[in-house]
Amino acid sequence: MKGLSGLLQENPGLRVFIYAGKGGLGKTTLSAATSLKLSSMGKKTLVFSTDPQASLSDVFEQNVFGKGEVKLADNLWVMEIDADKKINEYVSSIKKKIIDMYRLDALPKDIEEYIDSAAAEPAMYESAVYDAMVDVVSEGKYDYYVFDMPPFGHGIRMIAIADVLSQWVEKITELRKQAYEYGRVAASLKRQKLTYEDEILNELEYIRGRIVKFRDIILNTKTTAFMMVMTPERMTIVDTEKALEMFDSLGLKLTGIVLNQVYPPDLAKRPDAPAYIKRRVEEQRKYVAEIVDKFGKYLVAVIPMLNREPKGLEVLRGVAEELWKPSRRVEEYL
Amino acid sequence: MGLLDRLREVVEGLTVHGQSTAILKVKAQIDNLFMIITLGDMLGIPILPPYYSMRLLPYVFPNIQNWKRYMLRERDFTDLVT
Repeated sequence: MKGLSGLLQENPGLRVFIYAGKGGLGKTTLSAATSLKLSSMGKKTLVFSTDPQASLSDVFEQNVFGKGEVKLADNLWVMEIDADKKINEYVSSIKKKIIDMYRLDALPKDIEEYIDSAAAEPAMYESAVYDAMVDVVSEGKYDYYVFDMPPFGHGIRMIAIADVLSQWVEKITELRKQAYEYGRVAASLKRQKLTYEDEILNELEYIRGRIVKFRDIILNTKTTAFMMVMTPERMTIVDTEKALEMFDSLGLKLTGIVLNQVYPPDLAKRPDAPAYIKRRVEEQRKYVAEIVDKFGKYLVAVIPMLNREPKGLEVLRGVAEELWKPSRRVEEYL
Repeated sequence: MGLLDRLREVVEGLTVHGQSTAILKVKAQIDNLFMIITLGDMLGIPILPPYYSMRLLPYVFPNIQNWKRYMLRERDFTDLVT
């Protein structure tokens, strides 16, 4: 197995690492370990998470939720987005803008209701998270970015519709320009002034830019490593197969798979190993074989099951080393 | 209002008034389309993700009431005639 070091050697342009997969497989742990390793090599690294549960705060044993970029160690920054807060701030800023622009005492009830209901939509949450992702990457302050993705919802389909959306926005912009021309002619005939046309065009351009940027970050295989996390279980095998199908339809290329929580194989070989462990290792071995068979070309590293919870920098360093340069060959797990 | 302004309005009314009304009608149609695309989810037609379309809200705010009234208005066959 090439490990992350091999992956970086093959693709020296990589700057973004994304860990995806269903909940509970160790995305957060692997994100943290990856960032720890990259930062230990003297590269400025930001690890970014969005999930208030199973969070980086737990893994790093420090509360960083919603606090912006927090420095954890040399070259290592962590950012845990409080998406709800971000949405609230965003929505209030829109409300305030309307009230200020038109000097209102309060928003009309239907507009207020519309804004509040739009803000409560689940898609809003994902959009806000992806928007924050675009923010930190475009800022370009760091050498490496590691993203701990929330389990996929419908928001990921934004990649698929990015093209459509971007064309839409282009069309709308055109439409707006047309309206502007008509408005300008009519206004000059009537000697009136047009309002906010430029602002609308600017906003449309901005929206298009964000959507395209997000798609580019996710789809650019030169700069982004899109990683899936698996465990040797039937469920994740089925899940990964489905995810690969979905990625295909989105035009998204999987870079690598990290197989996590695998019992060290020599554990079962010891004469004093309890039947319980032997049974478990046997079962895992079967699934590891299936994973190698099905997804072998993607396999970047196998991370052995730890003898304790993956918390704190010390334990993470062990995980990071194994991820960076796997100590065993994959055959040893079979 | 000064005499000059009055005079201007009279001249405008004689010359370009019809023209500008026609142009404004086209503009209103285009504006209407624009509102459906960007804020359609206000009426249950989601096209743009609301996270982004909401940015346009402040600028189109003055038109919203009219637009909604226009969209939600009951229509009957006499509309076809006019």
